[in-house]
Amino acid sequence: MMTTGVWHPIALSVSIEPGSSAGTHVGGRELVVWRDNSGVAHVWEDRCPHRGMKLSFGFVRGDHIACLYHGWQYDTAGQCRYIPAHPDLKVPRSITVATYRTAEASGMIWAAIESAESAAPALPEDAGEVVPIRSVYVDVGADALLAAIEATPPRPFGGTERSVAAKLQRVGAKLHSLAAGADTLLLGLQSLSDNRTALHVVVAGPASSYVDKGQAHFLAWTAELRHRLDAQSAGSNHITEAA
Amino acid sequence: MAAPTETVRLSFIGRLVLPSFAEFADKRAAKLDLKLAVRSAGDERFTVDVSGQPDLIDAFEMACSLGPLDCLVLDCDRTEIHGVSNGEDKR
Repeated sequence: MMTTGVWHPIALSVSIEPGSSAGTHVGGRELVVWRDNSGVAHVWEDRCPHRGMKLSFGFVRGDHIACLYHGWQYDTAGQCRYIPAHPDLKVPRSITVATYRTAEASGMIWAAIESAESAAPALPEDAGEVVPIRSVYVDVGADALLAAIEATPPRPFGGTERSVAAKLQRVGAKLHSLAAGADTLLLGLQSLSDNRTALHVVVAGPASSYVDKGQAHFLAWTAELRHRLDAQSAGSNHITEAA
Repeated sequence: MAAPTETVRLSFIGRLVLPSFAEFADKRAAKLDLKLAVRSAGDERFTVDVSGQPDLIDAFEMACSLGPLDCLVLDCDRTEIHGVSNGEDKR
């Protein structure tokens, strides 16, 4: 899968609280996304250089992340700073974790997963104030997911234009907008693998318009979408098994 | 302050696939920020002088004692060449 030179949505910003970490994938590549105690998000290769343990199982300690296995600690640049078994050791600069450029925009954490020689991609434009809905994980590729969204868009929550057809529009390599009446959803598509996708959903607008009832409205739509895709996926698996 | 360093001679004895073992040792030394000078290299014995922080030399010895998959290290001789210094150049 091609993952060069593109900003990938990795998680909803609200999903990664300060002092926490989580594991995820892009194109089969294992990543850890973590937020230090000052609130800055980081996306790295999910592998401790010592014994290969996933750093996403580790602990955030201030501006360091510590591996669960032997407690090796890495600073925000991915440089190992402390090895508990050798507290007096001056840790060599060669012990580092592969890091990716990370940014936050439109309520999502983004990472540039790219080779060193590729040009710097432009981050999708920030949509301003947004309200998070949820991240949904489905067993279909990104194109099939978009087709399902276009076929069964959400009903509008606010406004009066209830009869206007929803409009899905690509606004970035991995970002789509979905206009439904007066509401605009932003959809970040994270290709976990060829046939598994994470959909990160936010609604553009002020918290006063969407918190609680608006969130519940669009949350119900994402649940329906996922159930529909799960049923399709189970159906196609059944056909494959029968064949 | 500079980190303390020492130099030791390590001989790994066993059934070695030379290119594989040499590459493994090179990569481990680079990872551990150690200077490596190969003194002799054969299918049964591989001898290197290793300089750097003592804890990292220990880690190198342990890693090479396990070695790459296609090599079997049966023993390791260790001789101190220069004891631990504070890292300052005394010339």
